[in-house]
Amino acid sequence: MKFGRSWLSAHIFAWLYMVLLVVPLYYLLVSAFKTNDQIFGSPFSLPTSLSTTNFTESFSSAHLGPAILNSMLVTALALVLTLVLAIPAAFAIARAEGRLGALVERVFSLGFLIPTFAALFPTFLLAAATGLFHTRAFMVLFLPATAMPLSVVILVQFMRTIPREMEEAARMDGASTFAVLRHVYTPMCMPGIATILLLNFLTFWNEYLYSLVIIGPDPDLRTVQVALPTLKSLTGTDYGILTAGTVLTLVPVWVVYTVLQKRMQQALVSGAVKM
Amino acid sequence: MTMLSSAPGGASVRGPVTTPPSASTTKRRTQGGVVLAVPALVWYLVFMVGPLVAIFVIAALHWPGMLQPVSFAGTGNISAVLDDPVFWDAVRNTAVQLVVAVPLMIIGAYMLGYYVAQKPPGHRVLRYLLFIPGLISTPAKAMVFYAVLSPDGLLNGALDKAGLGSMTDAWLASPSTALGSLVLLDVWSGIGFTAVLFAARLGSVPDEIGEAAQLDGAGHWRAMWRIHFPVIRDFVGVVTMLQFLWTLFGSAQNVLLLTQGGPGSSSTTLSFLVYQKAFIAADLGYSQTVGVVLFLVGLAGLLTIRRVFRQNY
Repeated sequence: MKFGRSWLSAHIFAWLYMVLLVVPLYYLLVSAFKTNDQIFGSPFSLPTSLSTTNFTESFSSAHLGPAILNSMLVTALALVLTLVLAIPAAFAIARAEGRLGALVERVFSLGFLIPTFAALFPTFLLAAATGLFHTRAFMVLFLPATAMPLSVVILVQFMRTIPREMEEAARMDGASTFAVLRHVYTPMCMPGIATILLLNFLTFWNEYLYSLVIIGPDPDLRTVQVALPTLKSLTGTDYGILTAGTVLTLVPVWVVYTVLQKRMQQALVSGAVKM
Repeated sequence: MTMLSSAPGGASVRGPVTTPPSASTTKRRTQGGVVLAVPALVWYLVFMVGPLVAIFVIAALHWPGMLQPVSFAGTGNISAVLDDPVFWDAVRNTAVQLVVAVPLMIIGAYMLGYYVAQKPPGHRVLRYLLFIPGLISTPAKAMVFYAVLSPDGLLNGALDKAGLGSMTDAWLASPSTALGSLVLLDVWSGIGFTAVLFAARLGSVPDEIGEAAQLDGAGHWRAMWRIHFPVIRDFVGVVTMLQFLWTLFGSAQNVLLLTQGGPGSSSTTLSFLVYQKAFIAADLGYSQTVGVVLFLVGLAGLLTIRRVFRQNY
């Protein structure tokens, strides 16, 4: 009753957009199992065989194997560093009462106004000056900085909901500041930590322009997002290999999304909302 | 809410006993605490604020390549940029991109988000699928679009099949469609993700508001724009700012991956110009002058959007 005839245009609009979303992805998936001739001849048909030659070919021609390992390494280390930096900072801000704490919080939230993409060239200079140009190490150091404003702001909000009595009780038992952070605050804001982990996992894994410029094109060092577009030039127009490679880079994110669908949506939503 | 009501109660019970020790420890605690924020702060200043300041410094330098001698250029870069027709092409393209993509995205996403928030049949599937563009990396999206829009890609194949062979085009390589294709990519990937944001926010609007409107005889179109839209107005502003920034700064990546700014300068955007001048043409002063322009446009846009969407009580 609620969705009567007046909703017809809304249903059509919504599902039409759904088709626009799904068709390119369907095309991507089926093309990964086809040859060029089959893709041009019958773009929409299901593949005739589930041969994995395109996948192995994209794996070897774009060196996707090492690239996936590099991406995992950079993403994992950057995530750890983000937590190591953001949790104590959020803890300090959440329980500070003085003006200093408020000031520090302001400085972090002003970070939302800084468009990191604009500072690509100065960042490149910084990498060159520190001797970390063409290394993965610089990306591991750099990515957490870009994640800091959002991560700190989200964590502060979680930590503010922890009652002060919890800390006072721990203090009575002789806990140090560090112990309070470790045994009271960190366990209690696990949902917040999960949120920033998911959010930053997506940004770090999908990072392209900075990885391209700073890590560079060396097949042993580059990340998967940098390796992927090389399939376009390397193989001319072998769309089978190109789409197979694209599918491969999407698998990790897609698996995480499907398993943690609700969590991931919450994380992304809160990430955007706290802006 | 529960926090607010329980805290005073707890304090009044324990207040008299614990006040003296906690008052004396507060100062020490606070000072010891703020130190913990220093590493994060240093990181953030070195890697984000430092480079941002450097943009302005380099914009005032004459620096024709990484290993070339650097000299002070004064306003030389500014006049070089303003005299360059490519810069004005980039301004025009960026303006087109912003004016077309952002409103389309926000209006489309709001309507779609409203639809999903009403929990129509199949809304779970919708929600799952809508998020997909938000998960896919820029290169992956670009590769999908490359495969769809290339001369023998999906779109031309479909047009051929439908007997519209005369409408086929080299979409990314033709001056009249290159920019349009990039805008399309932005809108295609922007609507879904933004719609879920709106749906999430609309989900927390009390049901009574919609029900009251229905009792008053408001149709769903009226309820959507006249009732719910004003309620989440400031959220719409935040999302618009986000999409504005992503479109303004993020376009460098799509342009680089799909058209390289061409043909000619028909799809060169401001943020691609910053990249192209720095890393391909090695005219660093020019590049960062455009960077300053980009930063100022971003700031002006943010302030304008904030003003437009300010809650007027």
